[in-house]
Amino acid sequence: METRLIKKDLLAGLIKGLAQDTLVYAPVQDEDNVLFKVLEKGMEPLTEYDNTKNAPKNFFFPQQETLMRYLKKERGSELLGVPGVTAEAVLFGVRPCDARSFVLLDNIFDDPQYRDPYYVDRREKTTIISIACTRPPYTACFCTSVGGHPLSSEGVDVSLIDLGDNWLAEFVTEKGEKLMKKLGDLPKGDEQWASKKEALAEKAAGAITTKIPGKDIKPWLDENFDHPFWDTIHASCLACGTCTYLCPTCHCFDITDEIKKSDGRRVRSWDSCMYWLFTHETSGHNPRTSQKQRWRQRFMHKFKYFVDNFDAIACVGCGRCVMYCPVNIDIRKIAQDISKL
Amino acid sequence: MERNPYVPIPVDVAKITTEVTTKDIKTFRFAFVNKEDEEAFAYLPGQFAELSIFGKGESPIGIASSPTDRGYVEFTVMKAGTVTSELHNMEEGTRMGIRGPLGNTWPLEYLAGKNVVLVGGGFAFTTIRSLINYMLYEENRSRFGKITVVYGAREPGLLLYKDELALWEKRDDIEMNVTVDKGDADWKGKEGFVPAICKEVAPSSENAVALICGPPIMIRFTLPEFFNLGFSKENIFTSLEMRMKCGIGKCGRCNVGSKYVCKDGPVFSLAELDALTPEY
Repeated sequence: METRLIKKDLLAGLIKGLAQDTLVYAPVQDEDNVLFKVLEKGMEPLTEYDNTKNAPKNFFFPQQETLMRYLKKERGSELLGVPGVTAEAVLFGVRPCDARSFVLLDNIFDDPQYRDPYYVDRREKTTIISIACTRPPYTACFCTSVGGHPLSSEGVDVSLIDLGDNWLAEFVTEKGEKLMKKLGDLPKGDEQWASKKEALAEKAAGAITTKIPGKDIKPWLDENFDHPFWDTIHASCLACGTCTYLCPTCHCFDITDEIKKSDGRRVRSWDSCMYWLFTHETSGHNPRTSQKQRWRQRFMHKFKYFVDNFDAIACVGCGRCVMYCPVNIDIRKIAQDISKL
Repeated sequence: MERNPYVPIPVDVAKITTEVTTKDIKTFRFAFVNKEDEEAFAYLPGQFAELSIFGKGESPIGIASSPTDRGYVEFTVMKAGTVTSELHNMEEGTRMGIRGPLGNTWPLEYLAGKNVVLVGGGFAFTTIRSLINYMLYEENRSRFGKITVVYGAREPGLLLYKDELALWEKRDDIEMNVTVDKGDADWKGKEGFVPAICKEVAPSSENAVALICGPPIMIRFTLPEFFNLGFSKENIFTSLEMRMKCGIGKCGRCNVGSKYVCKDGPVFSLAELDALTPEY
């Protein structure tokens, strides 16, 4: 793996340089929030920030996207086309937890049996630069409990680690090395940095004090679908869906048709298992009629079903659902409570 | 290039058959617009497809024809929601789309060499019909043992595929037991609910597999009869329905525990279902 050093105050300029001929998404300040935006002339990419409000999953799996367009005719209709291939892009400033979410989502969208062409195309064409969490930003962070690490480079092409005066840039993948060539001459980050990185990694992991039982509760979940505990978690839930929309790993979606005169499109939009309509069938039957069932589904999907299918928890510990739930439902507490049963 | 699994295959509505006296169940025969699509749409009994109407949406429906019927594919559809209502208003010759084939199949390999008991109730007979035609196909028949069918509807006018039922009745390589809850003046067949007829017919469980499809209430009362006959949970199969969108295991709504009905199902053995969460 190639490593380079980037002077602290040069990074933003390098990224702006990339943006001159490449599509670059970067975290920028937007009123009270930090959001990923297309980096345009005059915009300043942030290199020091907590985390973006939204998870970056929408770069590969947009909140809404056109799957195909069609023309409605007098009798039947005609497919006009499928959106074409997307441009090469750089996604700069992803946190390691969010980068891991891409690896988890690949299980769903890059499944060899049915590859999702929209997701896979964007994923293949995007180079991901992460900024490691040498100082984990939130008390709600818990990546270390669900298989992640604040300095992890899983799902990352280029990993940036704050060494004080310099960023240590690790070019993890081929895509990353290709990008390195575009960054110009940079001093090599030789072995002396390895020990420094190790110390930083240890310190960062130690700073994450929230611990939840991750795979440890799986045996309980395997056996206790009908346990009375499930009656105790959902009472305050408003079924607003915020947790699922902000979640980096939630991938449920709806497919709907939109038609204006004869111009139609079939659209994919994020959906949420928190909604009653999600599973409501035409016959009137609904396998999940109560919020209790829907909460159990969300929790089980992350901590049991996904583990059954892919041997990984479908949670990266970013803490968004914990911080932004309007009624303070805390997935960490649910996991902790289960471990005490 | 890999086919985009979201883009429907163009088909023309070639034939529409109204199946029942209430006129709300019709069989739609689709012809593929492109020959190569027909080749690519290689399916087996038990699978389903998304019937796709631009401007309305998609609806997952079991395939009612058998792969041994060449040149077309059939779906029997009840008029219920947006897509199926639009479908019921369609005329022959209309162009629309299908996506598939999707899901797993009836356990054909497992059925080979065994006696097969098929139980259907009401409208839930469509993929069983596919399997019957598949097994009765000349080149396939010898691969399967005795075939016993118990098929029930509320009244004679609600039985599907009446012409085929009559043809099967005449054959000696399939035992038909067609029943209605209540017959009319012309009805000469059996009367009684499906569970009672199953008890009366009492198919042997020896080297036998039962496939049971129907409304939940029918299944609930039929299963004990099969357990009494000695059928194990490994030898009873059913087909599930759930709300679906993508049909390819991504949109996340048709899961039963860690399985997706669209991709891992719709066919499950009772033993498999027992291992899943009871939420469907």
